Amino acid sequence: MSKTIKPFHKALLAAAISAALPITGFAATDLELLKQEVAQLKNDVKDAKEWRNQNSLMHMAGYANVGYVSNDNPAMEDSFLGGTFAPIFHYQFRDQVMLEAELELSTAEDGSTEVAMEYLSIDWIINDNMILVAGQFLSPIGNFRQNLHPSWINKLPSAAPGFGHDGAAPVSDIGFQLRGGFHLGGMKANYAVYASNGPEIKAEIAPDLVTDPAGGAIDEIEYDGIEAEAFGADADGEKVFGGRFGILPMPSLEIGVSFISGKATVTSYEGDEFTGTDPDLDGIAASTYDVAGMDVSWRSKSFDVRYEYIKSEVGETSIGGFDLAATEWSTWYGQVAYKIPSTKFEAVLRYADFDSPHGSKDLQQTSVGLNYLITNNFIAKLGFESNDNPNAGQKAYDRALVQLAYGF
Amino acid sequence: MKLNNKNVILSSLAALGLALSASAAIAADYPEKGNFVKGAKAWADNCVRCHNLRDAKELRDDQWITTGFHMRVRGGLTGQETRDIITFLQQSN
Repeated sequence: MSKTIKPFHKALLAAAISAALPITGFAATDLELLKQEVAQLKNDVKDAKEWRNQNSLMHMAGYANVGYVSNDNPAMEDSFLGGTFAPIFHYQFRDQVMLEAELELSTAEDGSTEVAMEYLSIDWIINDNMILVAGQFLSPIGNFRQNLHPSWINKLPSAAPGFGHDGAAPVSDIGFQLRGGFHLGGMKANYAVYASNGPEIKAEIAPDLVTDPAGGAIDEIEYDGIEAEAFGADADGEKVFGGRFGILPMPSLEIGVSFISGKATVTSYEGDEFTGTDPDLDGIAASTYDVAGMDVSWRSKSFDVRYEYIKSEVGETSIGGFDLAATEWSTWYGQVAYKIPSTKFEAVLRYADFDSPHGSKDLQQTSVGLNYLITNNFIAKLGFESNDNPNAGQKAYDRALVQLAYGF
Repeated sequence: MKLNNKNVILSSLAALGLALSASAAIAADYPEKGNFVKGAKAWADNCVRCHNLRDAKELRDDQWITTGFHMRVRGGLTGQETRDIITFLQQSN
């Protein structure tokens, strides 16, 4: 039996081998590919592990906003707004140091791209209660500029007059800042103190407003504005010192006071139809520069209430024999936001009053807004601003704004 | 051959696991571990001082470290509050 079956087995085995050979060949090729893929994957994992260096962390946060503006100014068309993209780069080495940099990119009216450095600082974590912030930082004066200006945080589509890049409140500076928080009895407190390059002053030449003692028509020079955004070099060598102290008697209430003291100098002027001799700005005496501010915020489950006041004052000086009188800019706003329970809607009301030495820039603004929180960091805003200039002969235009803001 | 195939499959699974773990949260040995419960309270008390609360699941563990330190600078938090909040968020994401 076995002798007769063996040839059959051989034949069967031969048939099986011949049938299996192509499969074996395919399997070998497939296996080789799989091995190569595994080898590649191992390399990828190895590379990925290099990025897992636990001593260094890198992260990009930030925010962006786009929108639409409609206004009743006959000289301005309603327009979609390209908005702003503000990436914030964080690079951190353990819990010792963090580099923070925020850029602000936006599309200008002429289609070009504008890039601005909002801040760039190296933060040395000294201890649990103190951090050295060195470089360019957002002004710690008040609360809006340092904490509330990102569009996904600001509850209205615009900054209150005087708190943007246009007014009484300083925006940013370059220097060294110490800041941190600590417990004070049963309360919590935070602080920031700094020394910096400080602002520069811009003067304005108004033609033929005064008479030259010698008899000819000459021009009047007056302060035009404080340029309180970070300057990479200190044009006048004068430094300023400032800070903010905040106290929280309870977690839902914060009261802050701010100050700046120092000197600043007129470094530029503007004005056309200048009939006299260009004023010589070299050697001009620095003016005193003082800022005082106060901010209060309170919140409950549905309400968020804020008040902020800032006053900036530049002392007298003289240019080319003309005296410039001490001048003051001030602004304040009060804001109430109400999150409607069991909905994603939030209603906002804000009143602001910006006083400038130039009547044309004064602004009293009432804003109402309705926000829809698609998520807590992705917000659709609808806002309306009623703008009034209280000075006779001056006009301010109302605006309606739509904004989509996303914080990431 | 069967053994080789098994090895290949096991290696592939191991490699995939490593790849997944590489893209998952980084288990940094800093900052010092905080208190979860205190972190939950500090998170609720402090973050809303300026903005809406962010979902813990929005970011990975390592991203919560950089974000926590950024917020510490910005919000005047103490080091302990920051560690507590980071611990709470890392364990809640």
